[in-house]
Amino acid sequence: MREQLKADLLATLKHKRRGFAKDWYKFSRNPLSVLGLVVLILIVFAAILAPYITPYPGHAKPYTNFKDAGFPPSATHFFGTDRVGRDIFSRVIFGYRFSLMIGVVVLSLGVAPGVILGLIAGYYQGTWIETVIMRITDIFLAVPPLVLALAITAMLTPNLTNQMMAIALVWWPWYSRLLFALASSLRNEYFVREAELTGASRMHILFKEILPNCLAPVMTKITLDMGIVILLGATLSFIGLGVQPPKPGLGTMVAEGSKRLPGEWWGTIFPALAIVVVILAFNLVGDGLRDVFAVEEV
Amino acid sequence: MAPLLDVKDLHVGFKIFEGYLSVLNGVELTLEEGERVGLVGETGCGKTTTVKSILRVLPMPPARIAGGEIFYRDNDILKMKRREIQSLHRSELTAIFQDPLMSLNPVFTIGTQLRDIVKDSLGASGKKLTKKEIFARCIEALKETGMPDPERIMSNYPIQLSGGMRQRVCIAEALSTTAQLLLADEPTTNLDVTIQDQILRKLDELVDEKNVTVVMITHSLGVVMDLTQRLYIMYAGTMVEEGKTEELFARPLHPYGQGLMKSVPKLTGDGVSDGIPGHIPNYLDPPAGCRFEPRCEHTMPICQTEKPPLFNVENGRHVACFLYRS
Amino acid sequence: MADTILVVDKLKKYFPTKRGTVKAVDNISFSVATGETIGLVGESGSGKTTTAQCVIGIYPPTDGEILFKGQTISKAFSKRPKALKRDIRIVFQDPGSSLNPKRSIKQILSVPLKVHHMTTNKDHLVMIKNLLDMVELPADEYMYKYPQAIGGGEKQMVAIARALATNPSMVLLDEPTSALDVSVQGKIINLLIRLRKELDLTYLFITHDLSLTRNVAGRVAIMYLGKLCEIAPTVEFFQNPTHPYTKMLLSSIPVVSVEEKALKPTKITSRGEIPSPVKVPPGCSFHSRCPEKMDICTKVDPVMVEIGEGHVTRCHLYQGTKVAASIEQEEEVYAQDPMDQSNSDG
Repeated sequence: MREQLKADLLATLKHKRRGFAKDWYKFSRNPLSVLGLVVLILIVFAAILAPYITPYPGHAKPYTNFKDAGFPPSATHFFGTDRVGRDIFSRVIFGYRFSLMIGVVVLSLGVAPGVILGLIAGYYQGTWIETVIMRITDIFLAVPPLVLALAITAMLTPNLTNQMMAIALVWWPWYSRLLFALASSLRNEYFVREAELTGASRMHILFKEILPNCLAPVMTKITLDMGIVILLGATLSFIGLGVQPPKPGLGTMVAEGSKRLPGEWWGTIFPALAIVVVILAFNLVGDGLRDVFAVEEV
Repeated sequence: MAPLLDVKDLHVGFKIFEGYLSVLNGVELTLEEGERVGLVGETGCGKTTTVKSILRVLPMPPARIAGGEIFYRDNDILKMKRREIQSLHRSELTAIFQDPLMSLNPVFTIGTQLRDIVKDSLGASGKKLTKKEIFARCIEALKETGMPDPERIMSNYPIQLSGGMRQRVCIAEALSTTAQLLLADEPTTNLDVTIQDQILRKLDELVDEKNVTVVMITHSLGVVMDLTQRLYIMYAGTMVEEGKTEELFARPLHPYGQGLMKSVPKLTGDGVSDGIPGHIPNYLDPPAGCRFEPRCEHTMPICQTEKPPLFNVENGRHVACFLYRS
Repeated sequence: MADTILVVDKLKKYFPTKRGTVKAVDNISFSVATGETIGLVGESGSGKTTTAQCVIGIYPPTDGEILFKGQTISKAFSKRPKALKRDIRIVFQDPGSSLNPKRSIKQILSVPLKVHHMTTNKDHLVMIKNLLDMVELPADEYMYKYPQAIGGGEKQMVAIARALATNPSMVLLDEPTSALDVSVQGKIINLLIRLRKELDLTYLFITHDLSLTRNVAGRVAIMYLGKLCEIAPTVEFFQNPTHPYTKMLLSSIPVVSVEEKALKPTKITSRGEIPSPVKVPPGCSFHSRCPEKMDICTKVDPVMVEIGEGHVTRCHLYQGTKVAASIEQEEEVYAQDPMDQSNSDG
């Protein structure tokens, strides 16, 4: 019996691996998407290993050295130094930590409730459950995300945690709507009917029958959303409601450096470029994912 | 006299992730003017690919024409440029397909679509038609297909019509021009059987009147029995048998044809045969010789290594099987 | 005399829509004996699929009763006892969408087994293997495959295995082979026939293909626009069709041999369109297409009349004979001969 289970597991994995190889092939047909993926992997590793690979890790903490302040990009400071003497390159790498964390946390907080609510609303389409869930969703969608995030962070103390919670609060409704559309059309499929007629529990139907068929659009959306969330976080930091100085948030750095434009341009441009690069990378990967999930017809 | 359509040794394949799908493996098809020929085959045998190749509507990146020629009146369609093909479609070659809802544009009325097709026609005096004349032609075309109340239909949208009526519109579109050759790809498969019967009989009348050559492609043997004079049976990208419809039905020679005839449930109530064991070959790695060999009960060593050509068995009867090697 | 396993009594299913009420099923009554295969035949709009959907519980009936093994089951599945869901099962028409593309065959077959506790954890895999063996699919190969990787016929066999996983008494087959090629169809049909004998099943076989019905069903019931037109044992049905719609259907079937052609009634050829189910013609709903229409047909809806052993038909041409016994009691009522009262041409 143990033998049987082991054989079962091996066979299941073998099939999954074959499926993955085919997905990778489809993804790799887009050279830009592969480039995006490579850049993303580099950024993630750099952010994780920031204390070990940056030339001046200490500059991410409170540090001043007016002797070195205001130098343009050079061999010792790739991106130059800012007005209090900190190495911008190192701070940018550390800044990625905040950006990625914002993306991950916000989406972790926002996606799950949105998905679950949308799933339930879609399955119970036509009943009061759908009405309640989707009207609440509509209400949240009606509020401009930036304004709501502004209001919340302004009410509470402006810091990274509150910023993340604020963005998550405005993010979940998009997933609710997406899942509602997907689930409400899937619930009429024969295989869902079959599960209902067999007597399977609602949980099984929602999470084992309907949800697996929704994952593809959700994953694509998550990838593309990462870019937007990062941008939103940077925007909040830029106006002073997110990552507070002296912490090296990318948006914060752009704001600080902007006071020195156009003379000491490296203070603003490099953090801004860093934001652009990470968002672009996510978008390219998202495009590639869309191709992977596209249904082919021969 | 040169045949109207002559498909010679057509090889068509598709390049996909897993490799190369070698679908059409030397398709041969000849059509004389005025004939009614049937092309019978099951899902995946390549009949739609053949039709699309003749019409030159295959998506060319995955699809690849690996060899062969398609002669329409001595001109190789495969070598024609876009302009030539378009003019061919406009004046001589026409087609109707399985799902009329796909063939008709859902956002335009029937009238608009029909008028678009008739607009390029010329009147008796060789001048372009006036609006009234175009309208009259459209109504006439619809009436010919047995459509009730054609004036009202002209202002309807496809979604408002039943399946049978939509197919009648498609037939009207196809036959309202000076078409010489009609490719009908499963035109009644989606229709109810009583409607199918009406449509087929009407089609029969119309092609007779207008002297249109027809290739009727279907997987339903019963449909071709009454409608066609000659029949091709297709399997896995090759023609396996060809001959006069009556003779083929009475005495199929190819093992696949025989299996097929036996598989059809009969009104006489003799029970249902087990069908043909096995399944169509994997086009990624098809058999080197005869593609039906893995499922054939009469297999011989040569069947595995060589592809059987269409042997001439009797007058006008061809079978691609080594059993009939003369 | 075999027991009656299913009784459908004056079943109605109406769907209110913006354009009017669709009377998908409009007052039909029939019964199914244990162990038989009854063929329910009709074209689009006939109501055959809706009837099956009411029996299996996708919809609750608008009116009328459905009795299974003597118990009333006229409710939607959410209100049905679990044991009932185990006992009546359905195989759907389109194998492409009846199997979840994101689940492997093993996972698909696990669902009914787990829901109805058919196996212990130990025997789970063995049971799935047995199911696949039963439908003649090589278990080791197919268990881990996903539906996209297997052909239509094989998908349908998995659907059949899934339906039989709970040891049901009755299986509804909604056009099980319509989407399949004819060379694959035979294998599935013979498999179904064999399984019926081995497992003591009763089949409600829905199809539009009369040639298939001829070879599969012991009794045939024809539906048109939500009503039953004719019910008869198969051989009798094909030898002696009485209802004009039945004759029109039979004459439209494409056949492949001269012998079959001889069996088709040639006098009635198909004409007219199937009316929209929102605008059903008054009186007998078939009168707009019927070549033997009489004046009475546009006014009065005919009643089921028995014209032979187990052979009932619903047409004014045959009124004046005994009205078919009602389902619950054996009543013999002589229908009033409408010809006496109307000034119609005979």
